[in-house]
Amino acid sequence: MFDNIISGFSSILAIGPILGIIAGVIIGIIFGAIPGISAIMAIAIILPMTFYVDPIIGITMLLAVYKAGIYGGSISAILINTPGAAASFLTAQDGHALTKAGKAGKALDMSLFASVTGEMLATLVLILVAAPISLISLQAGPIEKVFLLLFAFTVIGSMAGESLPRGLLSCCLGMLFAMVGMSTITGAARFTFGYTELMGGFTFTPMLIGILVMPEVFNVIKRRLVPHHEMTITHSPNPADNRISFKEFRSVFSTILKSSGIGTFVGALPGLGSSTAAFIAYGEAKRTAKKPEEYGKGSVEGIAAAESANNAVCGSSMIPMLTLSIPGDDVAALLMGAFLIHGLTPGPMIFFEHTETIYAIFAGFLITDLFLLVIARSGFKFFVKMASLRRYYIFPCVTVFAFTGAFTAGQNMDDILVLIAFTVMGYGMRLVGLNPAVFIIGFILTPFLEQNLDQAMSIVGTDYYLFFASPFSWVFIALSVFFVFSSMRVRRKTSNTSAQVEDKTA
Amino acid sequence: MKSSKKVLATLTAALAVTLASGAALAEYPDKPINVIVPWGAGGDSDLTTRIWADAVEKELGVPVVVINKTGGGGIVGTSFVARAKKDGYTLINAGLSNMLITPNFSKTPYNFDSFTPIVKMTSVPLAVVVAKDSPYKTFDEFVAGAKSTRVTQGSWGATSSGTIQANIIAEQMGYKVKYVHAKGAADSMVSVVGGHIDSAVSFPPAFGPHVKADRARALVMNQKMDAFPGVPTFADYGVKGSFEGWSGVFAPKGVPQEVVDKLNAATAKAMKDPKVLAAYQNIGAIVDYRHGSEWVNDMKVTYGIMKEAAAKVKK
Repeated sequence: MFDNIISGFSSILAIGPILGIIAGVIIGIIFGAIPGISAIMAIAIILPMTFYVDPIIGITMLLAVYKAGIYGGSISAILINTPGAAASFLTAQDGHALTKAGKAGKALDMSLFASVTGEMLATLVLILVAAPISLISLQAGPIEKVFLLLFAFTVIGSMAGESLPRGLLSCCLGMLFAMVGMSTITGAARFTFGYTELMGGFTFTPMLIGILVMPEVFNVIKRRLVPHHEMTITHSPNPADNRISFKEFRSVFSTILKSSGIGTFVGALPGLGSSTAAFIAYGEAKRTAKKPEEYGKGSVEGIAAAESANNAVCGSSMIPMLTLSIPGDDVAALLMGAFLIHGLTPGPMIFFEHTETIYAIFAGFLITDLFLLVIARSGFKFFVKMASLRRYYIFPCVTVFAFTGAFTAGQNMDDILVLIAFTVMGYGMRLVGLNPAVFIIGFILTPFLEQNLDQAMSIVGTDYYLFFASPFSWVFIALSVFFVFSSMRVRRKTSNTSAQVEDKTA
Repeated sequence: MKSSKKVLATLTAALAVTLASGAALAEYPDKPINVIVPWGAGGDSDLTTRIWADAVEKELGVPVVVINKTGGGGIVGTSFVARAKKDGYTLINAGLSNMLITPNFSKTPYNFDSFTPIVKMTSVPLAVVVAKDSPYKTFDEFVAGAKSTRVTQGSWGATSSGTIQANIIAEQMGYKVKYVHAKGAADSMVSVVGGHIDSAVSFPPAFGPHVKADRARALVMNQKMDAFPGVPTFADYGVKGSFEGWSGVFAPKGVPQEVVDKLNAATAKAMKDPKVLAAYQNIGAIVDYRHGSEWVNDMKVTYGIMKEAAAKVKK
């Protein structure tokens, strides 16, 4: 395994991948810091651009956008109190308090150091455990995979937002759209209504951009009268307030370690996501803090806890995705789509079929953290300036990227129609409260479930007891039941807090 | 008067020169050639075509650009070329599935007749494989087993080349299998090696690594291959009408003969280049450079087999 990692480093340390990482980090920070553009949108916009390069470059670039995008979200949270995602909500509380006190530099520094440390630790865990887990999951045949996929579907329980029925409906819609086209099993045309263009089903990239990105552009148009917030870094005459000293970093280091651990663990469990990780880690840090009363009023330790947990999820959410092909959250689902487009099927086989590629991507993960640290640290002012661009500059560009991206993927004009259709649908879904991210999960997982279910049915024939003959099946049935119940409980617990967050992020 | 004659003569000469050079310019190829791959980048068809494009580009002296025009299960890209100008600057990557199978099984705006075959680059033999610890050591034992018990066989879709071939064999040998359709031959192999299914129809890029690692065994194949010594062929068992996968390049019907000849000459040279051969070996493809009427007849025979198979399914 260690020689794999070393060979991974040797293939990532080339001009192409490094340029990809640098570009990804810069784009990620800027997009993440722009209020109204989340990391997932940034990835969707950049995705088509990666088709023309080697998977090693393309995937590491997307992951760089992801990591930097999550970090970038904390910039707008700290400076203008608009958390891009629910996960940055806690950072916004403490960070913005520091900004108002003129200590923006301190908050930004802390957030960056905590983010990078959290990501780094989670990535190391990912590299160490992914291959062994995949060895175990390789034993799973079609029957076991059916239960594995059912388990994967339980993530929608915690992703669905305030309404579980609407979440389930969104997922079913995703499943329905995934079935359009030629059945891979029987070869029959389904829901094509005689259009041969639909034989291959809906193309992933234009659909994704239509569902996730374009409706946000319409949202911005709708909210055009909301005043523009200029982001500025506040300065304090006392230079110690504008940065984090090594001593300060060391004093919160144990909090960062603990929060990263929580983030890594939560991220590895499918469906809990970065905001859950941030809330748990923040709560734990506050509980054990020497001065818990400072939390929420500008505590550096609070930022460290929230940001390191939230960013640790980036690395560890790759564990279930790569070893079991279960996307743990919406971003992981999107990245799973990106892996598929690049010809790499996430799942245990990836470690045998594409050993070099996957370890190069892992190495790229680690290097991305270093670049994120250096690039973000040296260019706070630049990123803040870019992210403060007026909306009427940013969103027309996003639209152009969206359309060219949808076309270049397959050089097929039909894809533009797909984009437009799904833009309308995505906007409509938001209006009636359906969840686009859950829709994407349903769309991605359904072909796997269908294929494995059909295989399992062929294998068992009429001996249905075989479905429950393997201990694997029972493990995943038990996990599914546990997750459904626990996510229901978490839902009840956090419904109050998340309502607050929704108000803030809206 | 004399001077005006001279002017006229000069003009005529100039015109002649222009015309001549115009004719020379029009010689194929004088601008980039586009090859449409109706599948996504990075797949077997795409890689096969890209190696060919890189190789003939050097011979032809113009860029040969591979464009992935995906959608509709290969139909979108293939019909685009069927409708394209017949000037030899728009070509299609053709294979068993989009040329011979899809037109028979789905309504397509094109047919095998809509194209002029130019060259075949690679072929992909089909085989029946089992896991190493399978009770079936030979194809005879497998046939006997499938006749007496329920045997599962991995394939990739009811209208895939694998299933059609497997059906032909099973019918002629008088046995039945239960198909387990995976996303592709590689996925089926995982199930075979994992002991979840009894056998699979497969091709060398998918089963080769498992056979070499002594995890699987090929029982019978389309053709003898040096990489898998001692494996009998379908013909050895008296099976008629077997076929194999392939990848080639076609032009829209009615393209000038000059285009076909030029592309053939360039491919013939390229296929002798050790670098090109090594590139094909790297992606696990078997180079099978063919062109001309004998090859076209072979394809027509296979097309007939597919037509028959489709008629059976529709019944």
